[in-house]
Amino acid sequence: MNEQIKPDSSHSIIQVQELRKDFGCLQALSGVSFNLNKGEFLTIFGPNGAGKTTLIKILTGLMRPASGSAKIDGFDALEGNAMLRSRIGVISHATCLYPDLTALENLLFYAKLYGLDDPEERANESISTAGLQLRRYDPIRTFSRGMQQRVAIARATLHDPSVLFLDEPFTGLDLQATSDLKDRLRGLHTGKRTILMTTHDISCGLEMCDRVAIQSRGKFSLFESVDCIDQSNFKNLYTKSLEQ
Amino acid sequence: MTIIWKDFITEIKTRELFSSMFIFALLVVIIFIFSINLSLIQASEVGPGVLWVAFLFAGTIGLNRSFMLEKENGCLQGLLLAPMDRTALYFGKLVSNFVFLLIMEVFTLPLFMVFFNIDLLPHLLPLLYVIFVGTLGFCAVGTLLSSLSANLKTRDIMLPILLYPLIIPIIIGSVKMTGQVLAGEPLSSMMNWVSLTLCFDIIYIAISIMVIDFVLEE
Repeated sequence: MNEQIKPDSSHSIIQVQELRKDFGCLQALSGVSFNLNKGEFLTIFGPNGAGKTTLIKILTGLMRPASGSAKIDGFDALEGNAMLRSRIGVISHATCLYPDLTALENLLFYAKLYGLDDPEERANESISTAGLQLRRYDPIRTFSRGMQQRVAIARATLHDPSVLFLDEPFTGLDLQATSDLKDRLRGLHTGKRTILMTTHDISCGLEMCDRVAIQSRGKFSLFESVDCIDQSNFKNLYTKSLEQ
Repeated sequence: MTIIWKDFITEIKTRELFSSMFIFALLVVIIFIFSINLSLIQASEVGPGVLWVAFLFAGTIGLNRSFMLEKENGCLQGLLLAPMDRTALYFGKLVSNFVFLLIMEVFTLPLFMVFFNIDLLPHLLPLLYVIFVGTLGFCAVGTLLSSLSANLKTRDIMLPILLYPLIIPIIIGSVKMTGQVLAGEPLSSMMNWVSLTLCFDIIYIAISIMVIDFVLEE
């Protein structure tokens, strides 16, 4: 385990130790360990099948690991308790939105599920922040992919989570929608929020993060501060890391 | 309550679930009407079986559709990430399925009455009780199994294969009770069937509460 993977854990909001997960004979995670401090933005790169989504699913309590431990904001992530779930938000390429409900109804539904005070007001605020107030009464199925992703971000941040997990959020977005999403993510990162993102988009990923990791064959082959790497040569570094 | 509210809003907008279940139940009743010679067999003898076959097949369509909606766009993941107990999710889906199925059954009864020429009105209250108890058991185990099969590629096939063997006691009890109700017997004379069906309802709900966490886990 290298030095960067085990920094000062006393300030860490995410603490992961030796996570392992198998699907039959396939080892999806083979001993992932890292700590992430409050307010940091970690981008994880890796090829398909490297175990990035599995890692996020375990950290968000959707999946149990074979062994290892993970704590988020002091809560055991592997227990998947409600207190932890009220502190995290998840955005993936699946929007988790009901296509036949309007944008407002979707947000209202999730605001009620999260037990927020005054869910109507919160849903309206969120849809305004997403810049979709004129489309609030339109069904989600009539929205473009980019607009759906904006509603998905509003859904995931309704309850003001302290940790955000983003699983390939740029998938299927055009240039304009990608740019909008980056702006929105920068806004979300400002201040206190800790963000863990997986992506294949190297420029987007490097642009926003404080720390960068490369995941290959179920473990991190690189975990560095973004200031310590040569961004112009990152593609070569990425290729070399995968070959190791 | 939030899940039930969401399911009802969706159904009011799409009417997919009710219309598909109702049309299927209607078709089953019509097929049986043309295949049974009611001048040779008493309608009250075959009627209960036909009625429950219609409810069962139409209900299976509803159960399959119920969790399919949650799988679209990864909505089930959104529900699992919410800070609520997974038992609450199970009960939300159970109540939605139960109410949708009851509505479909209430609409099917008048058509059954007309096609089989059976006057249900004198037996309406005990009949509704039997339907309530039978449907509750069917939905209790059906909701659990539909959440399980939703993750499978062969979910359309797997749900009936898993569900029908488990609901045999409930369906037998319900058919027997319906037959006796239509013959004019009071519910008090069929307490063995009432108890059996109620026991299975309770057992299936209890088992579902115990295993739903594991079933919904990826």
